[in-house]
Amino acid sequence: MSDRDPAGAVFEALADPMRRRLLQTISASPSTATELAGELPISRQAVAKHLTALSQAGLLERERTGRDVRYRVTPEPLSDAVSWIANVGGQWDERLARLAALSEPAAGPARPLH
Amino acid sequence: MTDLIERELSLPGTPAQLWRALTDPEWLGSWLADEVALELRPGGEARFRFGDELRDGWVEEVSPPMPGSAPGTTGRLCFWWQAPDETASRVTLELIAGGDGTTLRVIEARPLEVLDLVGLPMPGNAAGGARYGPALIAAAG
Repeated sequence: MSDRDPAGAVFEALADPMRRRLLQTISASPSTATELAGELPISRQAVAKHLTALSQAGLLERERTGRDVRYRVTPEPLSDAVSWIANVGGQWDERLARLAALSEPAAGPARPLH
Repeated sequence: MTDLIERELSLPGTPAQLWRALTDPEWLGSWLADEVALELRPGGEARFRFGDELRDGWVEEVSPPMPGSAPGTTGRLCFWWQAPDETASRVTLELIAGGDGTTLRVIEARPLEVLDLVGLPMPGNAAGGARYGPALIAAAG
């Protein structure tokens, strides 16, 4: 666990879409970094970096089985409410960024807004 | 208890001009989700696609804004949606005229206690989401 404000660390760790996706994948089944790199469109090094960020925020814990290190989602500090707010809030940030880009002049789908 | 998310975005134009971004399937499909079908009347069906994920829902309120940018000009669209295996939540999109442009306010709220009891409050359910939804949101604020 980081010694920063735990909630702040959680939100920071979840601000990245790829980290949210990793967390989602790991919450479905505990995985090794190699397995995750196989499932996601990023390198093993990038996976390892994200896993470190998520672990430092206290969202993941490591579990050694033989030679493998498997990551699993910790029940704390990611309460259901915190995870919902972080996830859904992040989705709205992405949606509003798309809308902001579309509302620029000469952007948007076939028909202009104004 | 209600979990609640609130965001605001400033956009150029009047609420009436921006209403299309909230209601036109082509526009909604370019920012809100990959595909959106909204039946624009209270109780109307709502469907959303995010990649492979489909969400069902229903429309609670459709209040188009009046033309112009006089202070107090607002438009509001409110719907419920529910991702598979998740609790339903209520989305309110509000356009508020002000200054040079319009503020889009987004509120997504998940009123857990009631929904745990009745599930997704569809129109016609005894619990009638349209009746208790606003009160819950007010209580959360």
